[in-house]
Amino acid sequence: MESEKELKMEKYGYEEALNIAKKGSHCGMCRFDFLGTGLCPSGKENGFLAYWPQGRMQIFKNLMTGKVKPTEKLKDITNSCPLCGICDKQCNFATKLRPEKVAKALKEYTNNLDESEFQDIFEDEIIKGLREIVGEKWVTNDPIITSAYIQTIIHPDSDLNHYVVMPETTEEISKIIKFANKHNIPFMPRSAGTLLSCATPTVLSKAVCLDQGIIIDLLRLQKLEVDSKSCTATVGAGITAFELQKEAYKHKLRANLAEAGAHVCANIASTGITSTWQNRYGWAADNFTDLKMVDDKGNIKNITDLDIKNPYTTERGFSDITLSAPGIITECTMKLHPVFDDEDIVFVPFEHLKDALSMIMKLAKRQVGLSLIVLSRKYFSNFLCPTNEIAKDFEYICKKYLKFNWVVDVICNKDDKKIIEEMADFTIDKEMMKTIMLGAPKLSSLKESEFMKVLSEEENPSKAIFAGPMRKHLEKGLEASPEQIAKVYDEDLSEFFKNVYSRPHMTDIMWHHAFRILPSRLMRQRLFFAQAGMIWAADENKILKLVDMLSEVCDKHKFEHMLGFILPMDDGKYAFFEYDYYYDHNDPDAVKRVSKALIETTENCLRMGDILMVLNYLFKGVYRKEHVLYPIPRAITEEEVSLFRELIQMILGEEFEW
Amino acid sequence: MVKFLSDEWNNYGKEYIIKKLDPTKDLKNVTTSLLAVIENIPPNDTTMNFYLGIEDGKLIDFIVNTGDKFEEKVAVFTVTGNYGTYKSILKGDMSMAVALLKGRLKLKGSKMQALKIIKPLDGVIVSLKEITDEFED
Repeated sequence: MESEKELKMEKYGYEEALNIAKKGSHCGMCRFDFLGTGLCPSGKENGFLAYWPQGRMQIFKNLMTGKVKPTEKLKDITNSCPLCGICDKQCNFATKLRPEKVAKALKEYTNNLDESEFQDIFEDEIIKGLREIVGEKWVTNDPIITSAYIQTIIHPDSDLNHYVVMPETTEEISKIIKFANKHNIPFMPRSAGTLLSCATPTVLSKAVCLDQGIIIDLLRLQKLEVDSKSCTATVGAGITAFELQKEAYKHKLRANLAEAGAHVCANIASTGITSTWQNRYGWAADNFTDLKMVDDKGNIKNITDLDIKNPYTTERGFSDITLSAPGIITECTMKLHPVFDDEDIVFVPFEHLKDALSMIMKLAKRQVGLSLIVLSRKYFSNFLCPTNEIAKDFEYICKKYLKFNWVVDVICNKDDKKIIEEMADFTIDKEMMKTIMLGAPKLSSLKESEFMKVLSEEENPSKAIFAGPMRKHLEKGLEASPEQIAKVYDEDLSEFFKNVYSRPHMTDIMWHHAFRILPSRLMRQRLFFAQAGMIWAADENKILKLVDMLSEVCDKHKFEHMLGFILPMDDGKYAFFEYDYYYDHNDPDAVKRVSKALIETTENCLRMGDILMVLNYLFKGVYRKEHVLYPIPRAITEEEVSLFRELIQMILGEEFEW
Repeated sequence: MVKFLSDEWNNYGKEYIIKKLDPTKDLKNVTTSLLAVIENIPPNDTTMNFYLGIEDGKLIDFIVNTGDKFEEKVAVFTVTGNYGTYKSILKGDMSMAVALLKGRLKLKGSKMQALKIIKPLDGVIVSLKEITDEFED
C-alpha cells in the first residue's frame, strides 16, 4: 500500500510538495500581514484553517498519506487559491519553505481526480443546530476542512469525528457551548494553534488534543481598539500579538506580548505571556485590566464582575496540573506602556553563562532596563540569520572563534544605558547589530577563514571585532546591505527580500523586540519542544545546576538541545528559563526520545525544588503571578515522586514506559 | 452488561466491584467517598448522581440518585461532568485523570488528596466499564 502511494506521488511529481508539507510546523506566520504583502486572499475570505497556506499543507499531507479522502470542498479550497505567492514570501522569511508549491500540487491533484473519488458528506442535527447560531458559512463537519486542524488541536491518529465552528461574537460562543453541553459533545477553542503543534507530536498529544467534538475557531473575533487615554487596548480573541503591537505603536504605546503569531487572548490563558519585557511589565494578570470569558456552562462573565469568586487565584503544588483554561477568553483589555524617545538597546556578549546570568539578575533587581534577557548563541544565530545553514555556521563562529556563547540583551533609557556600560567590559550597539543582521551570510562564510583563526587568538575576540579596532574592518568586510542578504533567497524572491530588508524597521533590532517576527525561525522546517519553567533566582548556582541537569538528560536521550534564554521576572526574584529540544517531528524515534526527556526533566526539576514547571503553570495565565509563584515551590518528597509518576502515567496512558 | 445509571447497573455494579476488586491490591485499603454528578442526561437534559463509599478498601455504598445532590452522606470528593464525559470514561476513551485535568470533570475537594486516591478510584471506574455497555443516545 505504501509503495502504491509512493508510486502515485512519483507519477504526479509530488515528492517535493509532500516534503514541504511534512516540514510545516504551524507557526501561523501566514495568517497575519507582517511583510506588507497583504494576506492570503483565500484564507481571509473563508476563515477556516483549510483555506490558509498552513492548512493546505496539512491537507496535502493528509491526502498523500491516506488520512483523509477528497470531498467536494477540496475543489473549493483549491479554486479559491489564486497562486498569488504571498504565502511563499511570508513562509520563506520565517521557515524557508515554499508553500505555494504545495498549493500548486494540491490544485493539480484535485483537478486530476475522477468525480467518483469525491466522498459525500452527510449533514447531521449538530451541523444544523450550529448553523442556527453562526450562520451557514461558518460551520462544517467536512473531513477535508477538519483535517486541516490535525497537529494543532486534533491528534494525528484521531478518527476525525469533529465539527469546526467559527463564531464572530462572545454571545455566539456562549450559545455554542450551551448547545454542545445539551448534546454532550466536547468542545475546545483554537487560536493560533502553535503551542498545541509543539505539544502534539510528543507524549502529551492525547492529553492536550480534542479527541472528538466541536473545535471553536476564534479567528473571527477581530475587535481591536486602543484607548490612548487609559493606555489600554480592547482585543478580540482572533487578534495576533503583531496586530495589537502595530496598533499600539501608532499611539506610541507598547503591549507586553509573545511571538508575533500568538493570539493575545489565548496567550494570556495558556502561558500568561512570556516576553523579554516581563521583568518590568509583569506576567499573567499583570497584563490586563479586564477579561471577558465564557465558562464551560456557556455563561458570559467579566473577570471584574463583583459577584464571581476571586478570579485571580489558583491551587498550587506539583499535583495541580490543568490542561484547559478556566474559560474561553473572548476579549481582553490589555495594559499598554509608554514608548520613550530615548530608548536604546545594548548587547553584552559573554563566554560563560554564569557571568551573563550574574549581570542580568543584578540589572533586574535594580530595575534597570525595560526589556531584559540572556540569549544563547543558538537563539541569537537563528533569529538573525535568514537560513538554517547560515545560522548553523554563524553559531559555529560564535562558539569556536568569538567566545560568544551568551548575550545579555537590554532595551533601556539613556540613564540605564550608562549603568550597563559601566558594568560591562564592552557592549554591542544598535548599529553594529544592523550590520551583523545584514552581514550574517558573509560573516558565516568566514567559518574556516584565516581571519577567524587569527581573531580567535585575541584575548577577547568579540570585543576586538565588535567594539575594538577591528570593528571598522568588519563593517567594511561584511558589505552589509539589503542587496547582500537578498542573495541568499531563491532567485525569484530575491528582489522582494531586498525591498523587505531596505525598510528601516526590518533591521531595527529594537523593533524586533516589540514585534517578535524572528522567533518563528526556530520552527524552520522542524519543531522543537520548549521545556520551560520559573526558578527562584536567589541562588544563581542553582540555575546553573538546573541547566547542567537539563543538558545531561538531553545528551542521554541523544538529540540536539540548548538553553534558549533566561529572563528575569518579578524584579529578579524569579528567572524564567526555556530549554529547547530540537528534533524532526516526522521521526517517531526522535519523538519518543524527546518525550522521555520531557518527563524525566520535569520530574528532576520537581525534585530540585524552587522551580515551577510549565506543566504546573500552563493555563494559569489569568491569575495573579503572586498566587501562582508563591509560596516558592518546595522540592517534592519521594512519596510525592511516586504520586507524580502515577499521575503522569494516567495522563499519558499505558504506552509511556518510564 | 447493563445500561449506565439503571437500577440493574447499580445492583450489578456493586456486586461486581465487591467480587472483582481486591481491597488491598486494587483499592489500596483506602477510605474515601466520591459523589459523581452527571449532568445533561439525554433525552430530557436531566441530572443524576452516584455515590461511592469505600472503607479500608471495601465498597460500603454504591447508590444511584436523581438530582445533583445526595443529602444522606457527605462525600469527600465531588466530581461533576456531563453525560458525554462519563460515557467517554466508561467506554475507555478517556481516563478519569485526563477528564479532570482537561476540565471535563470538575473536582470539589483537595486535588492533592484526590491524586492519592485517584488510582484506586480509576480501578473502580475500570470495573464499571466491564459491566456497562448501554448509554442514552
